[in-house]
Amino acid sequence: MDAYWAGLDSGAFGDQLGNFGYMNIPNTGNFGNSNSASVSVSPKKRKGQSPQVVTDKEKKVKGCCDGDSKITHQNSSSKEASNNTSSKDKSKVSEVQKPDYIHVRARRGQATDSHSLAERVRREKISERMKYLQDLVPGCNKITGKAGMLDEIINYVQSLQKQVEFLSMKLATINPEQDFNFDNVLAKEIFQSSSDFPALGCSSANSAYYQLNSLDQMVSYCGLDMGINSAEMAIRRSISAPISVPETYIDSSSFNQLQSTVNWDADLQNLYKMGYEQETLIPFQPHQFTGSNEGINMKTET
Amino acid sequence: MLNFNSIFVLLTSKFIHLLLNIPFSNTSQALMNLCQQNLNSKETIMHNSCQQLKKEFIKKWIHGLQICCSSNTKMNILERKKKIKLSADIALASAKNSTTSWSKAIISEAKNDEQNAILVENLSPESKFIRAHQKVSCHKRITSKKILKRSYGVYRKMKKMEPRRCGSSLASCIAKRLVKKRTRVLKRLVPGGEFMDEFSVIKEALDYILSLKVQVDVMKNLVNATTILS
Repeated sequence: MDAYWAGLDSGAFGDQLGNFGYMNIPNTGNFGNSNSASVSVSPKKRKGQSPQVVTDKEKKVKGCCDGDSKITHQNSSSKEASNNTSSKDKSKVSEVQKPDYIHVRARRGQATDSHSLAERVRREKISERMKYLQDLVPGCNKITGKAGMLDEIINYVQSLQKQVEFLSMKLATINPEQDFNFDNVLAKEIFQSSSDFPALGCSSANSAYYQLNSLDQMVSYCGLDMGINSAEMAIRRSISAPISVPETYIDSSSFNQLQSTVNWDADLQNLYKMGYEQETLIPFQPHQFTGSNEGINMKTET
Repeated sequence: MLNFNSIFVLLTSKFIHLLLNIPFSNTSQALMNLCQQNLNSKETIMHNSCQQLKKEFIKKWIHGLQICCSSNTKMNILERKKKIKLSADIALASAKNSTTSWSKAIISEAKNDEQNAILVENLSPESKFIRAHQKVSCHKRITSKKILKRSYGVYRKMKKMEPRRCGSSLASCIAKRLVKKRTRVLKRLVPGGEFMDEFSVIKEALDYILSLKVQVDVMKNLVNATTILS
């Protein structure tokens, strides 16, 4: 993550940013409305950094800031003669009174007091971060504007958190195998790999179980069993064969939040029901566990 | 309890290696295969850092589950689920090595609960420097925030008394209110976000989303593997 952030902050995406139009953020009362739409964020103009960032990055950016201010000074003086439509004509540098200096240039025809400039810096920072978030959150490419973007981000974070809850619940329902029946497990797996991997669908443990079931012995088991001994074989086979488990409820790339939340609620209810059923069964099986526990321990030692 | 043992067995070193090779998700792996040559530097950086984070997370999660199953109490499903989730969260937060503030928030929250003290201490030895009594400071912040809110309400009333200049400012007021509402919700979602200003909340949310994705991927692969084995 740190490398990623270092790349971001040192302006690795500065060129890309320069091409984007200014994000359509609702204006404050200070600025004239006419100019804001036509202005584009230029990477040369400023390299601002919030003072909360780690100290080693601050030094790097300070150096950049000072270097950039000199360059932009020269640029503006040469450009004043030529370009009228450019937004960098007004060459006033203002320093925000903070421990690390943020060099900002006021745009043409806009207020130049430090408050509004600081506001502008702040808004540009926020819009920059919003763009990165657009890449992260799927389905955000068409949405412009802070409010909609924030909405999408909130939905996405909530969905990810619900996924974690659901998955941890699912992991909690896994029951270890009660007796190690190697031949049986191997036979099951060969049978399964030959046939198509069945769709797990909504993946409540019960439904997945019934779909996978093709042998009579599996019906007698009360929960998901694990072939711990043949774990490696199964995994190698599963990697080579295409895992056609359609992740209908956990497909973060094409995410339809409404549907998925509905699925999850149903799944969670199913799992909870199954959990309560299994609760009653668990106390009846401790005597079998001891034998399999030793088996597991032996396996780990080898 | 035996459940944790079995999960732990699954997560032995060989399995970790295989888990890491299982793709992020089927669709993303297919996409990456297709446009391998078009991978620009940004995605490779993200990919590499994600892989590293995954390894750290898995290591710490195994450690946490080991600690959990060392206790001999029999747990029902809900308690098991809570322990799994808690160990996963703390493992993820400590895998970040206190570089981000949401991870520090998770660890300090977990420290407040005495039951999890052993777990937290073992999983994240560097978290000794993170204070557990963050509730004291947040109380102060809450009271000062109330004063601010009251004064802000007065200011808003005064502002409304002014004649409105044109229709666009009304729209912008509404837009601003919407944005404020949503940033408030986002602050509640991101751990430790209530005490940060808007800009850093967005940055924290970025990082938090990435790490949540990693966590979901690892757990998903684990679940897939176990269901295939059954």
